[in-house]
Amino acid sequence: MLPETVSRPAQSSALKINPTVALLAAFVVMCLLFGLLAPTFLSLDNVVTIASTLAVVGISAIGMTLVLITGGVDLSVGSVAALTGVVTSLLWPSALPIGLAAVVGLFSGLVVGLFNGLVITRLRISPLITTLATYSAVRGIAFVISGSQDNQLGDANFQFLGRGNILGIPFSLILMLALYLFFFIVLRYTRFGRNLFAIGGSPDAARLGGININGHLLVVYGLCGLLSALSGLVSASQLAAGRPQAAFGLEFAVIAAVVLGGTSLAGGKGTLLGTLIGVILLRTLDNGLIQLNVSSFYQDVARGVVLLVTVGIDQLRLKLENSDKK
Amino acid sequence: MFKLRAFRTLMVVSLFVSGSLFSVTARFASPANAQGACPTAKDHYKIGFANLTDSVDFTKAVEAGMKSAAAKVGNIELVVANNNLDGATALNNAENFVAQGVDGVVEFQTDEKFGNVIMNLFQGQTPAIPVIAIDIPMPGATFFGANNYKAGRMAGEAGGDYANKNWGGKVDYILVLELPQSGPIPAARMQGQVEGIQAKLKTKVADDHIIRLDSKNTQDVAFKAVSDALPKIPADANIIAVEINDDTAQGTAAALEAGKRSAHAIVVGQGAVESGLTEMLKPNSLYLGATAYFPERYGDKIIPAMLDLLNCKAVPPAIYVDHVFVTKENICQVIPDSKACATIKGAGGAATPAATAAATAAK
Repeated sequence: MLPETVSRPAQSSALKINPTVALLAAFVVMCLLFGLLAPTFLSLDNVVTIASTLAVVGISAIGMTLVLITGGVDLSVGSVAALTGVVTSLLWPSALPIGLAAVVGLFSGLVVGLFNGLVITRLRISPLITTLATYSAVRGIAFVISGSQDNQLGDANFQFLGRGNILGIPFSLILMLALYLFFFIVLRYTRFGRNLFAIGGSPDAARLGGININGHLLVVYGLCGLLSALSGLVSASQLAAGRPQAAFGLEFAVIAAVVLGGTSLAGGKGTLLGTLIGVILLRTLDNGLIQLNVSSFYQDVARGVVLLVTVGIDQLRLKLENSDKK
Repeated sequence: MFKLRAFRTLMVVSLFVSGSLFSVTARFASPANAQGACPTAKDHYKIGFANLTDSVDFTKAVEAGMKSAAAKVGNIELVVANNNLDGATALNNAENFVAQGVDGVVEFQTDEKFGNVIMNLFQGQTPAIPVIAIDIPMPGATFFGANNYKAGRMAGEAGGDYANKNWGGKVDYILVLELPQSGPIPAARMQGQVEGIQAKLKTKVADDHIIRLDSKNTQDVAFKAVSDALPKIPADANIIAVEINDDTAQGTAAALEAGKRSAHAIVVGQGAVESGLTEMLKPNSLYLGATAYFPERYGDKIIPAMLDLLNCKAVPPAIYVDHVFVTKENICQVIPDSKACATIKGAGGAATPAATAAATAAK
């Protein structure tokens, strides 16, 4: 059985700390620091606030992790999220009940994802170009079909998705964690999951090994579209509206979290646990800086620095490991 | 004989002098001479309108209003371009306008840095092309747009009045959902709102209870930023949120609802575009109201001002929008052709709780 991070070399003597553990440690230190500086940071209210606003980036990040592991990328996740909210809000309540409208919304995301997959595998256009095109086109479609208007989504049941809680735990968090668990099992314990690492690590070797690369990529991009659509539904539920401008820039927040979590942009390497920590870390950083009344310009700087430092340290660690092996 | 010859000579001289005088007079009276006095005056004009973007309600309304006003005048060909929220694109559009030989230009562009370059281009033509700049001033151009401080102040005062009436004048926190990267003009709008609230209160809100949050001009970011700020604020504190636009107002309202602050919070904003009006009509809406900018009426003031500029008539250096604070109670008086007003009328007229409930159900 292949481990989840198949291409990760053996731990070096120079740096034996597991990167996920290191990231977790950085998160704990950050929390302690914010807790010392901002009295309300560690309050239950604030923890619930952070927890209830993780899902939009967190759910999309699952799909992005799968895509990045295969060596691809999907820039259309924000546009798909916006389209899903718009489609759902246009269908409810005149055409369909909220449940069915949401299913159609999810389906629209799946269709975009499958379209991405088909173009990438059949027309051999690079994932970057393909999803850059759908990033633009899908956002445009959302504007066209909505007439650039927001549409209310005030159904109480629908709002439970983004705002409800079970025993004080935000429902969107429960949903997100369930999805992480499911896809963690898929990546770690199924042939499909292991094949994704093989495809990302070396497509030629994977092909020689008899893996149906096109089929796998089609499924992965379809899943990424579907998960982005679910993110869009959570966002629409929180804002009680379907908006063509929604989730603008989501793709960058998602990629940042996934890369921060240790997934390689070159493919073949990544963990969902790392992604989850990356999502939580970046969200907590935003929250903590607001708690400290730090200017928004410095917040942007801080996000960039954290990303650069974390990825830089990881690269340095890999370099040291490789030199140890030689 | 001599007399006859003298008479003929006199007649020829008289005719020559009269003809010369007539010719000179006619020349001075001709349209060509009128253009000499006012080099941009013509019978028919080509006017360039570079819109900020074509994907936002506000700017779409401005464009529709410009087209409608130009069509009403009859002797204007309006050439429309999209600046796409980008200074470099605005410069390209300006160069295209010059190449197309426009007589006047209405610029709606966001990048202050490109203002000088674009104005140099227009003013370097012969004759210089007159320019009206919408909302963001450009050096040498006639300014048209919002009186941002006044518009903000109106909303802030409405928030203060609400607090006096419903909370005994006790406001504990002001959330300021601003857009710091856009410079001093939107800042004046936010400052006006804060000062408007403070002016109405007997006990001012302390400076450290005025929380400034970068809304990035979007609902999503406003939602997150307000969600993050709420844990710092006691659960029973009275909060007024002031907004850069209707979009951020909706995000803020959603965050306050999700944070269970509805009983102690209101939102006032800027814009009063359709989505904002819809938010106001929701049952138990936290969105008290917004100052209207009437983008659809911009053209009715801009086109006559441009004609005056082209005919060398005096135009004030700044022309402002007539702002009105819109609440669910006066939507139909202030913006009778809005969908929100149609919804109110469809639901039975007044914006009572029952009417607003029906309005939301009917979307």
